[in-house]
Amino acid sequence: MEKSNTIGICNEVVFSSFFKSNVKSIRNYLYFKFGNEEQANDMAQDAFIKLWENCAEVTPEKAKSFLYTVANNATLNQIAHQKVVLTFAKNNSNSDRTNISPEYILEEEEFKIKLEKAIQNLTEAQRTAFLLHRIEGKKYAEIAEILEISVKAVEKRIHGALVYLRSEIEQIK
Amino acid sequence: MENKYNLTKWLAGEMTQSELNDFQKTPEYITYSKISEYSSQLETPKFDENQLYANIISSEKETGKVIKLQNNWLYKVAAVLVIGLGLTFGLKNFVSQTEVALNGQKTTFALPDNSEIVLNSGSEINYKKWNWDNNRNLELQGEAYFRVAKGKKFAVMTNLGKVTVLGTQFDVKARKNRFDVTCFEGRVKVNFKDKQIVLTHGQSVTFENEKQIDSKTDAIKPEWIENKIAFRDENLLNILNEIERQYNVSIEMKAQFNGELFTGKIPNNNLDIALQIIATTYHLEPIKISKNKIIFEAK
Repeated sequence: MEKSNTIGICNEVVFSSFFKSNVKSIRNYLYFKFGNEEQANDMAQDAFIKLWENCAEVTPEKAKSFLYTVANNATLNQIAHQKVVLTFAKNNSNSDRTNISPEYILEEEEFKIKLEKAIQNLTEAQRTAFLLHRIEGKKYAEIAEILEISVKAVEKRIHGALVYLRSEIEQIK
Repeated sequence: MENKYNLTKWLAGEMTQSELNDFQKTPEYITYSKISEYSSQLETPKFDENQLYANIISSEKETGKVIKLQNNWLYKVAAVLVIGLGLTFGLKNFVSQTEVALNGQKTTFALPDNSEIVLNSGSEINYKKWNWDNNRNLELQGEAYFRVAKGKKFAVMTNLGKVTVLGTQFDVKARKNRFDVTCFEGRVKVNFKDKQIVLTHGQSVTFENEKQIDSKTDAIKPEWIENKIAFRDENLLNILNEIERQYNVSIEMKAQFNGELFTGKIPNNNLDIALQIIATTYHLEPIKISKNKIIFEAK
């Protein structure tokens, strides 16, 4: 016990590095889920506070699942969902293409706008799983752990998201 | 799944080369590849990690165990207060209310709808405050004068009969086996056993031992409100009982008396005069044994 305490997350260095490697994921996860920036920040903060308060009882291996469990439980009584507003990274991969016509750029910008709108209209379950994969780069298994569902269910959600996004984008055309 | 290509496998980059080649030939591939490409370029709004971390680390000091105990203690106090208030509210509204006028006293009170009730001596009323406006029922023992506010049906239950009105002024007296109802304003419906009578203002009805007596009154409110007791065809025992209640005394009858009925008024704030009126009418001699004890003897 004492041994695990000394190297456990009660140690501020351990806690700090754990925080740094997980804060973005959990905060973005909560943002995907609720579409409210402030709320996502607050809830992520609360989850870490809970972890910090209970650091003596939570082993470093369990810390991550503890964090998401707290976040998932806290989400029950939250306010209604808002639109998830996302932005495109400034220096995107267009730069690696050499022969870009202005028409092409325009078309691509239009596509991006359609994509953003379509993402906003996804169901909460589909959007959360899809964005965890695309933005956070989580593997299906990791997403399953976070959402506390099976990998199959994650794949189903992401498949649904893809089909919906395409139908939405091509329809708008 | 409607699509024959395994989209999740493709998105995860797990398709075999031949699968990928086939998929790339389909018309939807372009859209899917764009979705995949651009969605990975999306970013969430920025936030201040360091600030968040500072909040977390500093929060620990604020929520030490001592403060938690204090909080719990406060919650307990708050809970006790809330339960207390809840019970008081509940009792006030759900449990039936009782208004009593003891012998020698009168009680005036208002109901939730501002109807006024004056309870004569030695009387009691039970009612429930909860949902009063839609359920104006009360139980009366003894005598009371009602000034009822306009509204839904208002019913007075006694062990002798029932009186229902729609908003008016009336007096109900239910003592022993005599049931008196006098209407001073509006209309009053009286149910006595299987009989039903409607009284209009100035009318009065009495049921005594299954006998119905109709009478009229000029009064605009019961005499007892103005410190008089009015009797109509009342027998002596009932009168003595009424005097006992009004003056909070006990009266003993040590003389024979005939069954003559008395109609008239006696004061209820002057015992000597009241006794004198009865004594003269029935040819009796009142003897005051003590302050609260009177004996009537034959003259």
